[in-house]
Amino acid sequence: MASSLLASSSKRALARRGPSFAKSLLVARPATTQSSDALYVPGGPIYKGTVNDPTTFPTPSRVHGSHHWSFERLLSASLIPLTGAAYATSPSVHPVLDGILGVSLIVHSHIGFDSMIVDYLHPRKYGAFGHMATWTLRAATVGVLVGVYNFNTNDIGLTELISKVWHA
Amino acid sequence: MSFLPRLSRPVCSSAARHFSSSAPRALATPVAEKPVLNKEFKIYRWNPDEPAKKPTLQSYTIDLNQTGPMILDALIKIKNEMDPTLTFRRSCREGICGSCAMNIDGQNTLACLCRIDRNGGKDTKIYPLPHMYVVKDLVPDLTLFYKQYKSIKPYLQNPNPPEDGKEFLQSPEDRKKLDGMYECILCACCSTSCPSYWWNQDEYLGPATLMQAYRWIADSRDTHTAERKEVLQNEMSLYRCHTIFNCSRTCPKGLNPALAIAKIKMELAAD
Amino acid sequence: MMSTRALGLGSPLRKAIFSPSLARNQALIRTTLAKRAIQTESLPPSAAVDILNKQRLKRPSSPHFTIYQPQITWIGSIFHRATGGALSAVLYGFSLAYLFAPGTFDSVHVVEFVAGLPDAVKYTGKALLAAPFAFHSLNGMRHLSWDMGKFMSIKGVYQTGYTVLAASAISTIALIFM
Repeated sequence: MASSLLASSSKRALARRGPSFAKSLLVARPATTQSSDALYVPGGPIYKGTVNDPTTFPTPSRVHGSHHWSFERLLSASLIPLTGAAYATSPSVHPVLDGILGVSLIVHSHIGFDSMIVDYLHPRKYGAFGHMATWTLRAATVGVLVGVYNFNTNDIGLTELISKVWHA
Repeated sequence: MSFLPRLSRPVCSSAARHFSSSAPRALATPVAEKPVLNKEFKIYRWNPDEPAKKPTLQSYTIDLNQTGPMILDALIKIKNEMDPTLTFRRSCREGICGSCAMNIDGQNTLACLCRIDRNGGKDTKIYPLPHMYVVKDLVPDLTLFYKQYKSIKPYLQNPNPPEDGKEFLQSPEDRKKLDGMYECILCACCSTSCPSYWWNQDEYLGPATLMQAYRWIADSRDTHTAERKEVLQNEMSLYRCHTIFNCSRTCPKGLNPALAIAKIKMELAAD
Repeated sequence: MMSTRALGLGSPLRKAIFSPSLARNQALIRTTLAKRAIQTESLPPSAAVDILNKQRLKRPSSPHFTIYQPQITWIGSIFHRATGGALSAVLYGFSLAYLFAPGTFDSVHVVEFVAGLPDAVKYTGKALLAAPFAFHSLNGMRHLSWDMGKFMSIKGVYQTGYTVLAASAISTIALIFM
């Protein structure tokens, strides 16, 4: 009872002093609560929000999160038996195996290159250059897929090529 | 040396500890003078009052036989007796506050837990924690590190208080899951040793914060496990960890942040 | 201090020094003097952030990989990435070359070209392909075992690290003479 009385009287007291006083109370916060978002540069010395604000998270996406991770591990693990099988068998007898190995290697390489771009040339820091790197990689990967398809269908296939070059 | 795992941890021996005063004390029985053992310390210096001057390594030579056994003792001796402008953080001098984290001879560690290499012929180089903005000399700006720690909500989230209104109970097995994580003192040695954190610290949380994230994911009393995991489901916050292991290798408390991060990855993959 | 207290002069002395009138006079003298000597600038509280931000922009970034001790942890990791990148670059390079010039880069020409090289170049080339392949493959298995939660300790990291290095050396030699 007493506290509610106090609270209401203090609210009234604030109101009596007029809106300008209430506003000045809100504005005159300690300096550390001021934000510097306009000056923020990713990786720079000025931070988003105040020192008391937590950093924020990107929008959750399992495709970029755990699914990407699991896919990458499964693909890498499957390269072990694929390489072994390609070594043990003749690619002219097993063109499908040769094709699967080729595609797996290309996707594995693409993920690896992409990971390097995210680590070292991320568009949030490198802007147009980062975007260019990402799209160059995508274009190159498509080109490589077509190139390997052509080579495996018109020529002897990757496994046979490596074997022949190795013993040339 | 550097390619060997660190098997023994430097331990403070309190008997050998004596502080930096080089003035001879009056003892009842005279003690034989210790021989002089000079050692050079090269320390990173940058002064914010002269911002245009490039950071430099400044050399100080002190007598190890007039100094305590730890790097922090040497720093305090230099500051007291040679150069009061030398700036560094320190507080507890026993490895529990995490203030004196710095890069000593290429490794991130706490100056108070790191023994001085008594080989006088070899200098010791001291830098601030790597790839951090320097406030002055050995003092890095840890603002972002703390903002990231705050982002993982490092406190118990459970809207259903126990019936008796006293405490959340936990089985000994569940409590055991927190061992090796709750001991973290947030000195930032691990995060600033991580190359991924060097390149992407504005988005990647780093080993210290991620281990604390898992400390709350693994806590049986916390009911917000799903939310805690969900925020990590993106390209940057967690998955910039490439299992490099600099974090566990450098932790002055002997903890294993890499293991905690691996457990998060496995749990997210199983979801 | 000790002597004044001993003589019982402490409190009268203190009274004389801190007597209100004297203190007021001293304060007056000090402020008038200060006003003449020091220029002050009145700033709103919000200016603190601007001053701090100006200071932040001047801060250097501390050195990192140039001063960090070379350890098998991060040196091994960067080699894993470099070897993987190099092998992938060979795959991408050859595939794109074949895509755009299938007549020049078909298997017959490539094998002919390699066959024509001197033995020293052949073996060097084989070593330059076999070593990254062996290391990246074996270290990749080490990574996969970590992802399953195996060898996740400093001891495990170092034991598997040196095992991978030794196995890579042996595999490289085996591959060269295969």
